[in-house]
Amino acid sequence: MTNRRNFLRTSALSAGAMSLAPSFNQLFAAQGVTGTGMPKRFIFIRKSSGIRPSEIALPDFSNKDKALDEKKQPLEVDLDKHELPKWLRGLDAHKANMTILQGLSAKMSENVHFSYSSVMGCFKSNRNTLSAIKRATIDFELAKLFPSPFGHVELSFAGGRTGIVSGYSAPSPQTRNYCYADPDTARSELFKSVLNPQAVNSDNDMLSFLQGKEGLRTSGIRGHEKRRQEAQIESINAIRQRNKKLIALSGSLAKHLPELAPVHLNGGANASTPEKQEAMTEVLISALKAGLTNVVTYTIDDLGTPVTGLPGNETDRVGIHPLGHDEAFGGVPAWKTREQIRISHVNQINTIVEKLKQAPEGNGTMFDNTMIMYFPENGETHHGIGLESPFLIMAGNNCNLDIAGRYIRLPVLGTEGHKTLGNLYTTLLNAHGNPIEHYGDLDLEMARKKLDQSGAIKQFMT
Amino acid sequence: MRRFRITAVACTALLNICLIEWAAASADKTKPEITFQVSDNVEAILDKRCYFCHDEDEQKGDIRLDNLNDLDTPKRLDLFNRMQEQVYFRHMPPKKKKQPTEEERNALLAYLSTELGIHKASTLEGKLQKPEFGNYVDHTKLFSGEYKDEPGFTFDRRWLISEYIFNAKFQRILENKSQIKRGKQRTSVVGGSKIQNLSLANPFLLPNASGVRYYANEDLTGGHLSSMLTNAQNTSEYITNVMVKGKNAKYLPAINQIMALEDQHHATLASRREFLENFIARLSDEIYGDENITLLPSYQPVTLKDVKELEKGEKYKKAPIHVAQKMLKGLEADTMVFRLLMDPVHSEKSDDQFRDLCEQTWFYFGDHERKIQGRMTLLRDYLTEFREHVEKARRKIKPLIYKPLADSEMAVIESAIRKHRNKGHYYGEIIEKCMAEWTHGFEQDRIAAGPPSDELLSALVGQLSVQILERSPDKKEADEYLTLSKSYVAKLGKLKAIQKLIQTFILASEFSYRQEFGGGSADEHGRQMLSPRDASYAIAYALTDQSPDAELASAAESGKLNTREDYKREVLRMLKNRDTNYLIDPILADKNYNDNSTNATIRKLRFFREFFGYPAALTVFKDEKRFGGDRLGNATSRLLNEADRLVEHILENDTNVFEELLTTEKFYVYHDGDNERMQVASDRIKSIYEHFKDTDWKNFKKEDLLDHKEFLKEVKMRSIDPDKLDARNRQGDTIKLFKKSMTTITARLDKGQKEAAPFDMYRGYGSEFMQGENVAKFFNYRKDNWDWAAIQPAKVANRKGLLTHPAWLIAFAKNTETDPIHRGKWVREKLLAGTIPDVPITVDAVIPEDHNKTLRARLAGATGAKSCWKCHVHMNPLGNTFESYDDFGRFRTQESLEYPDNLIEKKPDKPKERNHLLDLRDIYKTLPVDSKGYLKGTEDDALDGELKDAIDLVERLGKSRRVRQSIIRHAFRYFMGRNESLSDSKTLIDAEQAYVDNGGSFDAVIVSLLTSDSFIYRKPIEN
Repeated sequence: MTNRRNFLRTSALSAGAMSLAPSFNQLFAAQGVTGTGMPKRFIFIRKSSGIRPSEIALPDFSNKDKALDEKKQPLEVDLDKHELPKWLRGLDAHKANMTILQGLSAKMSENVHFSYSSVMGCFKSNRNTLSAIKRATIDFELAKLFPSPFGHVELSFAGGRTGIVSGYSAPSPQTRNYCYADPDTARSELFKSVLNPQAVNSDNDMLSFLQGKEGLRTSGIRGHEKRRQEAQIESINAIRQRNKKLIALSGSLAKHLPELAPVHLNGGANASTPEKQEAMTEVLISALKAGLTNVVTYTIDDLGTPVTGLPGNETDRVGIHPLGHDEAFGGVPAWKTREQIRISHVNQINTIVEKLKQAPEGNGTMFDNTMIMYFPENGETHHGIGLESPFLIMAGNNCNLDIAGRYIRLPVLGTEGHKTLGNLYTTLLNAHGNPIEHYGDLDLEMARKKLDQSGAIKQFMT
Repeated sequence: MRRFRITAVACTALLNICLIEWAAASADKTKPEITFQVSDNVEAILDKRCYFCHDEDEQKGDIRLDNLNDLDTPKRLDLFNRMQEQVYFRHMPPKKKKQPTEEERNALLAYLSTELGIHKASTLEGKLQKPEFGNYVDHTKLFSGEYKDEPGFTFDRRWLISEYIFNAKFQRILENKSQIKRGKQRTSVVGGSKIQNLSLANPFLLPNASGVRYYANEDLTGGHLSSMLTNAQNTSEYITNVMVKGKNAKYLPAINQIMALEDQHHATLASRREFLENFIARLSDEIYGDENITLLPSYQPVTLKDVKELEKGEKYKKAPIHVAQKMLKGLEADTMVFRLLMDPVHSEKSDDQFRDLCEQTWFYFGDHERKIQGRMTLLRDYLTEFREHVEKARRKIKPLIYKPLADSEMAVIESAIRKHRNKGHYYGEIIEKCMAEWTHGFEQDRIAAGPPSDELLSALVGQLSVQILERSPDKKEADEYLTLSKSYVAKLGKLKAIQKLIQTFILASEFSYRQEFGGGSADEHGRQMLSPRDASYAIAYALTDQSPDAELASAAESGKLNTREDYKREVLRMLKNRDTNYLIDPILADKNYNDNSTNATIRKLRFFREFFGYPAALTVFKDEKRFGGDRLGNATSRLLNEADRLVEHILENDTNVFEELLTTEKFYVYHDGDNERMQVASDRIKSIYEHFKDTDWKNFKKEDLLDHKEFLKEVKMRSIDPDKLDARNRQGDTIKLFKKSMTTITARLDKGQKEAAPFDMYRGYGSEFMQGENVAKFFNYRKDNWDWAAIQPAKVANRKGLLTHPAWLIAFAKNTETDPIHRGKWVREKLLAGTIPDVPITVDAVIPEDHNKTLRARLAGATGAKSCWKCHVHMNPLGNTFESYDDFGRFRTQESLEYPDNLIEKKPDKPKERNHLLDLRDIYKTLPVDSKGYLKGTEDDALDGELKDAIDLVERLGKSRRVRQSIIRHAFRYFMGRNESLSDSKTLIDAEQAYVDNGGSFDAVIVSLLTSDSFIYRKPIEN
């Protein structure tokens, strides 16, 4: 593996180009590809109200393993020898690509009800204030490594909003991303060059005007000012070229244009939750297939997302926040509804896996180069404290991490060998070309106990 | 330090060589690439001076120089860049080795520069323009007077706006108005990062480092542009959809004029829709009479899912009413349901009758089946609770009263309904058909009316230019923008065209760059004074983040900004002005620190914030357990807030500012700066103590409080109302809260303290409360024995100056340890004008763990090797003196060896309930702190020498002329946005003299700098 020092020594890029700088320059960088010549893809699916470690534990553990798991002792078992928990069984066919990762802590991010940007940035959010965003979130860091026309796409059902609204990911410090909050908006915006080429063209008219005006200025200036002016014109031109490329691509993009049912028009006020999720998943898959992005963050729900049409509560509207407090709806106990919500999430993950496995790419399929991470935004319960943050990971055959097909429980917080969210994200970055020493804030309990906690999770590195 | 000295002249020469070679390289592009060969004379120098350590046999630092011909181009250029820096900064050959002659060094530099120039790959020139390389200009020469006759100037330039100017620009364009509350008073403020309700991405963030951060050498890149595209789009939509439709009719009036017909149509459509949605059933009854019901679709109630019985042992907790209300609101039915429940005609209906009424209403309107199901489920499960809610909230629910529109409108509506209604139509369908017809008709009207006139579009261009770029367009520009506007209108329609035009203005480079160009005739040195408009912005942005105020703008327009005296008049005026309140720190503002403002020009205070770098204390992630108390975040915020207040206080006195900052013994601790208010608050606590101290309050029952009713009514202890003794909140009932308050009040006064720390610590909010009471812990104050001072700043033991302020000490600390290296580095670079090379990339800097040694001892082991010590000698002896303070800035004489095997007493990780007297720190074995050090580099024999501790250090620094000069050099960089060169020598000397002549006034330094040749005069950029 390239370590930081070797990287600095050997790379033609400056440290600044690869460090966590507040920059969107990735849009203009060369296309990132892997050793297989294919871009890597990452899908982060955030859920609210925690994932209880016992909910995602294997139901048929041996007594010994069960005892280890309950006592939070390190543990590793092969999934193919075990049954999955009921809510995960929709993914039975893909156990070989699955990892259940337990024992990561998330105390350096915000917990309790909401984590906002922090679960993907490893800092405290100060209740979602802009000034508290310390760094680009992990999804944006990965997007820099695998650039694409959109760089990064954020989809969200948070708060039951619609349209283009503020998101949770952060492209740089003190900056909040925007997200598409309903399937119809996501489709319209991502496939704008097909659906509304006029809008893209009008951007180019504006850029052309600006380029002309800036060009006129170059005649009267010299030296550094002239060079910076030329660079600026080049920047404008780069965006114009990108837009032109998108329009030129519109033919091939059209092949991937997702079709949505009329119920999703204008924000889809009457669409049920499963319908909304299916439609958003469809847009997500289409965007990946069309090559519009390689990184998607999908907030599948937060505590303000209205939920309707779930099995058992078909005609009810249920609230995720009350469910977290065991307050129930329609005569169905809260835990059952919570389980149905998780099943609805797993159905979406399954759809993504299945459809990407059906899409050829290189000598394999698109899924081979894809990682899906499904995780709670706020830790281990509805009022998480970040002691644990269970992850479900689905990864294809070309995954750069050695984790597939296993249930892994890492040492618990405050003990030797414990790993944090920061370690996982460092692993992702290191494994994909960014040799950062450690991503995110450190855990203070580990620091207090003088336990090593920085860097990648070595056993996951191939 | 001599080996680091380098002159600006040499730097310029080097740059010139590079530029010439770049030009030559461009001309030679057509030539085929030949195999690389190191020139003979360079080979000879390398052989003589470098190969000893960097050849085939030995590669110190993994560097080999005898195979340059064999390296591929990227590797060779990378190595050349590193060689260039090492040779230029005289880091190589090492001091102990024989040094090359000046000729050899220059020859090697020229060669490297040429080779790098051919590939446009040299990185040194860019580095030399960065703030961290400012000290490489020879300090002694700068202040020697030898260069004071060099004419000072700055090159014509554009300067990228800062993150603060970005915010201020959008706040101005969108007429942002912010207020803060200090005590009970609301005050308008400018600054901060809130821009209306918009979330804009600020692409101009400054680097996260201490020292001067905002320089004029950054370029506008594609990255900035990419963010600005989205910002421009969001802003344009906000302007057209919110600002223009708001209360201010004077805001960009051309937009309303262009959109007048469209707005009128929208208003008419909205009025018709609202009327129909509320009253179509009634209107239809009036139009069709008994026939109406036969025209409606046949009623089909929805089916609801049956409620299953719970399984045995299963528990079920129904979601509370407020959740159901929220759901009903989400289903857009709360208003209708509550109105109907309040209507006497329907309120007496049985539950079933009422549900039928609602469902039929929704059904005939044509609401979606799922929506009706959701609403009916809530009516099934919560109707009783809804009825109770309506009884309680009767006053808040407004009844719907029928009010027909104007006769002409009613005629249009009735006609449209008759035209479009067919048997079986839902009411909602009828409305949509009517709306479609009217919308189409209005569109045709607008097409017939034609596009906006050139006159209107020109007015729009003029208004946008003034609003966004703060100037009117010239004739040529106005024509260009008019042509563009017309093409936008033709392609996009009026609204989108206006938005696109707004975006175009925001994306102009003029918006993102400050302009600083000379104007008028040149003097004998080829210098021109700043043009008046550019000068007005240069002065405004030197002192604030805002555009020139009215007087400054007027001076520029009326020819009163053309002389040095004009500059002086305006700068002095602005420095004296106290009419504007500036928000100091957006992070503190986000944390609701309302007293986080200053009425002095913000960039004066910000210079010292950035210079000292203490705001970084907020970003060092720390542990409440090791802090020993809770609400650490609040305490750190208050600490920062009070550090700002201290700096503001010293600047306000404006006497011996640098010395005071470095050596003041007085600090603010849990104090908002308002001595009068604090005294009143303290007196109140004292009066409570006096009243109850001789009573048996610890054993009071709630009824006992009635004996003190009059007193309690007068002093108003929080949440203790003698008329409501049974009241309680989350923290307990009245008597519990009383005892809790009395415990903290007693602890504040029962050891003979003269004053009491104010307010009901631990319980409170609003103006009679100050969060962050644990700030006391940073200063080693126990809250049960704290002789708090009502009049502050006040003397604090074992502290002297900002470098002993916990905010600075935390900012230069790690998560769990102190950081002597960076504390020492800061003193060396910021106060002694010294230089420290970057950590070599071959060094993996880690301080080894050792459970039986202090950090200082471990550090000595890690940095004692010769190769390390050559740099660490400039840092450790300074930084070690601060070991008298731990990583929270607490004074100490013993250092805790915080390793599990040294644990003596384990304290709870979390208190059972909040208790300000608890200290949760675990107790470990300790070793005595060694805070001795050594000062070298003041160039003053009376000051250099052995140091006892940090107090000793700061006292000497406070007396040092070099320190004064070093701060002035940093002030120069801050206000000029660039590194100083020898031609700025007079500017620096004058600034120092102004400081001395005016009793240590920093205002005098600012006036001197902003009226200096370096600021006033510009030269055209040379090729």
